[in-house]
Amino acid sequence: MDEQQARLVNCFLAVFPELSADEISAATSTTVQSWDSVAGVTLLAVVEEEFGITLETDDLSRFDSFQGFLNYLRQTEVGDRH
Amino acid sequence: MKLIEALNLTRQMQSRKGETLRCFLASGFNALHLKTFLAAELCLIFADRKIELSDGLYGDLLGNVDRLAKSDCEVGIVLIEWPDLDPRLGIRSTARWGAGELGDILATARTRVQQLQQAIEEAGQRASMAVCLPTLPLPPFAVAPSWQASSFEMELHALVHSLSSAIAQGHQVRILNAQRLDLDLPLKDRHDIESEALSGFPYRLSHASALAALLARVAHRPAPKKGLITDLDETVWSGILGEDGVDGVSWDLEHHSQMHAFYQRFLGALMSEGVMVAIASKNDPVLVERAFGRDDLAVSAADIFPMEANWKPKSQSIARILDAWNIDADAVVFVDDSPLELAEVRAAHPGIECLQFPTKSDAAIYDFVLKLRDLFGKSAVSEEDSIRNESIRRSRSNGPARSGFGIEELLDQAEAEVSFNFSKMPVDQRAFDLVNKTNQFNLNGTRYMESDWRGLLEDPSSFLTVASYRDKFGPLGKIAVLAGMTNGRTLKIDTWVMSCRALSRQIEFKCLRELAARFDFDEIEFVYQQTERNGPMREFLSEILTVSPSPGCAISREDLEARLESVMKPQEVSNG
Repeated sequence: MDEQQARLVNCFLAVFPELSADEISAATSTTVQSWDSVAGVTLLAVVEEEFGITLETDDLSRFDSFQGFLNYLRQTEVGDRH
Repeated sequence: MKLIEALNLTRQMQSRKGETLRCFLASGFNALHLKTFLAAELCLIFADRKIELSDGLYGDLLGNVDRLAKSDCEVGIVLIEWPDLDPRLGIRSTARWGAGELGDILATARTRVQQLQQAIEEAGQRASMAVCLPTLPLPPFAVAPSWQASSFEMELHALVHSLSSAIAQGHQVRILNAQRLDLDLPLKDRHDIESEALSGFPYRLSHASALAALLARVAHRPAPKKGLITDLDETVWSGILGEDGVDGVSWDLEHHSQMHAFYQRFLGALMSEGVMVAIASKNDPVLVERAFGRDDLAVSAADIFPMEANWKPKSQSIARILDAWNIDADAVVFVDDSPLELAEVRAAHPGIECLQFPTKSDAAIYDFVLKLRDLFGKSAVSEEDSIRNESIRRSRSNGPARSGFGIEELLDQAEAEVSFNFSKMPVDQRAFDLVNKTNQFNLNGTRYMESDWRGLLEDPSSFLTVASYRDKFGPLGKIAVLAGMTNGRTLKIDTWVMSCRALSRQIEFKCLRELAARFDFDEIEFVYQQTERNGPMREFLSEILTVSPSPGCAISREDLEARLESVMKPQEVSNG
């Protein structure tokens, strides 16, 4: 797991503390019971703040899973800010 | 605080065992991340309690304040934004606005303000309340361009201010200071238009975090400190009283020391609010009394009590002050420019908050006073506050000092280093200046012309010792000079001066120990002469000789070594 992925896992853990690190990599808005609209908005805010980016919210469907977030970060080449 | 930190904090708080603090956040917008930040900040402040933070319904601020009043919460937090006064003042409304609607918006806002005032006052009878007035900029509804204040906007602001004045009369209601929020986060960095449109949460995360931190402090109501003990030199005034003299210390524009007057004025303000202010200074008490007799002081000496001016460790002065005040150390702040003095007091009185007075920057002094205001601030000054100071002054206790602390341990912890240089040539200008400038720790007050000083040093039987000091807080440089003659088996010291800043670091004892190590003598003779100002030298020699010093007083090597042994531990020094 690279640093970018590890940081994304921490973001998910903060919003979904009931999940294990393994469960997070497979997490989606349909498989995680606590992933409602509030959790979704919170997750967006946490990820934006952690990576110092503004997520394009015109297509929110891409941010409905851990993999969706990770793919976005990879595509926009958001690296280590520190 | 970052949102991820706030989330983790609130999760960890769930496992706390303490009593639950029930809080209610009443807002008209979706509180979302603000609620998270606020819960986390309350967790930090109320560290021994579980936090339960409820909120109400979206879009119903007035109803939420009623819900707050009917709940069993201890703490109520009310957040008002412009759309709460009229929904047309927000971006989520689709209602029209225009010049014709402005009057109606104002009328609606007036009615809503009256309703909110009543609801908040009622809630304030049941819970401790923190109220925050609009923090976001008004939308561009006014007719005037943005750089011009329109009558519409001014009327809205006046309505809000009238609300704050009315509800602030209640003892239980406290208003968040908008100026403080402005200092922490500028207006332009607060509004998140996209977030408000998407979710109804109008704040940027930075604003939500800053606002939550301040709201938690308003809700907390920490007990203000009760007493401030301050140093004098380079604190109440610029300069060293013992070196610069009564007229040489300053606090004015001419000497670029005006911010010391600002500090004096603040001390005066604190005393008028019932805060006890005392002095703990290593200084000649006679000089201090004369300095406080200056008619240009910005603070009245009559209100300062007690005034401890002596050459003993400050922890002992502070112990006497605490006894006189009869308050606990944790209600007291000690201010000094010297990190070593602060460390000594902190070690002896761990409950006291010790703060370093900034000396290099006017802006830093201003910020320092702001910090003191936060420590001593209270909602109102009571009559009891003023009475307390006067009654303490009248019933002053002269009991024994409450506690002391080993200076040796402190110097060890400060990594104090004293170095000695015995070179006589070339003539050291700093040493010469010290001899001619020092008054208080001075063996006899003799002043030298440069030619006389050179002549003394050129004598083959003369010696010169220049001591330098540094510790982990920084160097003091060259701070002591001893000079004299070797006369058979007698070492005769006819010049000995030390800077006031170096007192209470045992350097004077180290000087004698160094001479004992360097020279082979049976006796040291001191060419002592009492002067008007060399009290500290007199006290030191009394301690070494165990009798009051007189001209030509002396001590044998055996007695000197025994005396030093009883006072000091062995320590490494470096010689040059």
